[in-house]
Amino acid sequence: MSHHTLTLSATPSRRLAGDLAIWCFIGAELVAFAAFFGAYAFTRASHVAEFNLAQQGLNRDAGAVNTLLLLTASAFVVRAVQGALAGRARADAVWLLAAIVCGIGFLGVKGVEYAAAFDQGISLSSSTFHMFYLSLTFFHFMHVILGLIILVVLWAGMRAGRYGPQDMNGLESGAAYWHMVDLVWLILFPLVYVIH
Amino acid sequence: MSSTETIPAGSHGSPAGTLRLWLALIVATLLTWQLGEGGGSLPLTVAVLGIALLKGAAVALDFMALRHAPPLWRNLLLGWLLFVCALIGLAYWKGIA
Amino acid sequence: MQYQSQAVAKPYFIAAIALFTGQILFGLIMGMQYVVGDFLFPEIPFNVARMVHTNLLIVWLLFGFMGAAYYMVPEESETELYSPKLAIALFWIFLLAGAATVLGYLFVPYATLAELTGNDLLATMGREFLEQPLPTKLGIVVVALAFLFNITMTVLKGRKTAISTVLLIGLWGLAIFFLFSFYNPHNLVKDKYYWWWVVHLWVEGVWELILGALLAFVLIKVTGVDREVIEKWLYVIITLTLVTGIIGTGHHYYWIGAPEYWQWWGSIFSALEPIPFFAMTVFAFNMVNRRRREHPNKAAVLWALGTGVMAFLGAGVWGFLHTLAPVNYYTHGSQITAAHGHMAFYGAYVMVVLTLISYAMPIIRGRAANSNKAQVLEMWSFWLMTIAMVFITLFLTAAGILQVWLQRVAEVPMSFMATQDQVALFYWMREWAGVMFLIGLIVYIVSFFVNGDDKATAR
Repeated sequence: MSHHTLTLSATPSRRLAGDLAIWCFIGAELVAFAAFFGAYAFTRASHVAEFNLAQQGLNRDAGAVNTLLLLTASAFVVRAVQGALAGRARADAVWLLAAIVCGIGFLGVKGVEYAAAFDQGISLSSSTFHMFYLSLTFFHFMHVILGLIILVVLWAGMRAGRYGPQDMNGLESGAAYWHMVDLVWLILFPLVYVIH
Repeated sequence: MSSTETIPAGSHGSPAGTLRLWLALIVATLLTWQLGEGGGSLPLTVAVLGIALLKGAAVALDFMALRHAPPLWRNLLLGWLLFVCALIGLAYWKGIA
Repeated sequence: MQYQSQAVAKPYFIAAIALFTGQILFGLIMGMQYVVGDFLFPEIPFNVARMVHTNLLIVWLLFGFMGAAYYMVPEESETELYSPKLAIALFWIFLLAGAATVLGYLFVPYATLAELTGNDLLATMGREFLEQPLPTKLGIVVVALAFLFNITMTVLKGRKTAISTVLLIGLWGLAIFFLFSFYNPHNLVKDKYYWWWVVHLWVEGVWELILGALLAFVLIKVTGVDREVIEKWLYVIITLTLVTGIIGTGHHYYWIGAPEYWQWWGSIFSALEPIPFFAMTVFAFNMVNRRRREHPNKAAVLWALGTGVMAFLGAGVWGFLHTLAPVNYYTHGSQITAAHGHMAFYGAYVMVVLTLISYAMPIIRGRAANSNKAQVLEMWSFWLMTIAMVFITLFLTAAGILQVWLQRVAEVPMSFMATQDQVALFYWMREWAGVMFLIGLIVYIVSFFVNGDDKATAR
């Protein structure tokens, strides 16, 4: 039976944090989003005036707040992973809870945005811009939900003391997926809400 | 499935480092928000995309620990960021042409 | 064989190949009718030949999937099949119902068939691939549910593996989506919308899970690569399939009267549908490269690799060629569609069933692999059928490009029939390729009866 010691190395040896399968999944998701982003960007290029005008109706403040929420959630997830790696899974599970709260905040803000949009009669068929705005953000929204479900599962695991320096695979995999969701929004926000 | 490898303690950074990075990301976001308030132009768009690229790289390299990962995955993700930002920039340029 | 009950797969495989032969004969009849319009008219009109050709395809593939499941599941679950007797009973029921249906198509005018079989109670007839009379459809549901019961009980009482789990999800999905064939809305847009819930979500959805499971099973057996490695690949492949294929259904919603956003969603997601097929090809070659043993069944390895390649080409590449809305606007319903359909079905589903049969039949018959002589013949049949299919596809692609050009893109478009005259040469060439395909199939059947002195030892 091997005994593991924590080696404090200046440059950790090369390893992928998380299961290979989840990284392949992340890759697939990123490709799908990239295709969607590209479609939006080039469609906009042919309808600049229409897109600029319709974009003015978006709530950029809400979008920015959501960016802050996702980034904060990601930072919390990293703290949780650091805690587990240091053998403090049970105590540091609360960091995941904080991340989940931020994520739910994102859903709330987005929900308010959608409610306002639908009130104004915006739909998938009201214009090409709106079709893209609703599709892209809804697609992302669904991924936030999945990410939150994963975080809840991880939180339960950490509380049960399941993760530690010898058993980080599940935690790192779930964390990687969450960061992907954040990464996608880091492109989506400037693309849809800002660039004009 | 538990791993039997020794995961180096520094793999995911330190709390202090994470806090610093988070602050930088927040500032970058506020900057983008501010830039968005003005009129649109190519330089502005390039700036916004540049900031997005840097933020994405920070999340990929540090939050996702790709800094210490095999080059393949690090390059794939950074490549994705670069590709997407370049694509968006190209489309924007096409739009104003 | 590790478990006696795996032997129930044998009649399923035999029926599958017999119906496959019937399918090809009717394909040749239609290929002839494309150029000699009244060939076999009025005894076997084109529309009847088409129903028989397409229905036989689906039914023989279903026999293949069921046989594959009966073979794989006991071995994966490490326990005998729940009820071999039920499996045999279902075999005869399905075979007789299928035969009766085909005879109905051939000998009874369709409208009369509808009257006689209660179509006025619940109208389910009259749609492409779903022409079966109501009793047949109900029979399919009963057979499918009983089959699923048998297989699921087996898995539940034994070891649960990723392969058996994925297979079960695929097969249950197949049954559940078939239920949409009973939903026949009056509104034409909704009719077409839900029709694809059977067809697309079958072949670009749950059937891909079945494909992945069968391929993974054979690769584990013939390469000896670690189960964990192969199962990981399997999860990646089915994830890619579902992520791209579910919303990818939208590439059938471009022109049916559905909202315009489907042209965007369908294009973006279906453009990514080749990716899981690419992954499957890389997976198959990678596993064979990393093999830990030299399995005596070389033919099965060839079929497995061929499945990856042809599925990627036929479903992935040829699918991509006409999946984007701006392209599909011109190619919709043309010979391009037929080209894709043939290579996709052959590459993905025909070949994976033949892969499984190639691996399992010798073992059911008492040996690890067939004699060299038999394997060589089988490999000949692989090349004959596959190359024939490539030519069929190329000729139909050429016909399709010319057809789209003349009939839709040209300054002064030609009428449908005038265009058909112009592409007739390609139809003749396709028919010859079809004859080559039939020869390949005959060689394939002969290979089952060839003995040799060097049979590998029984397992």
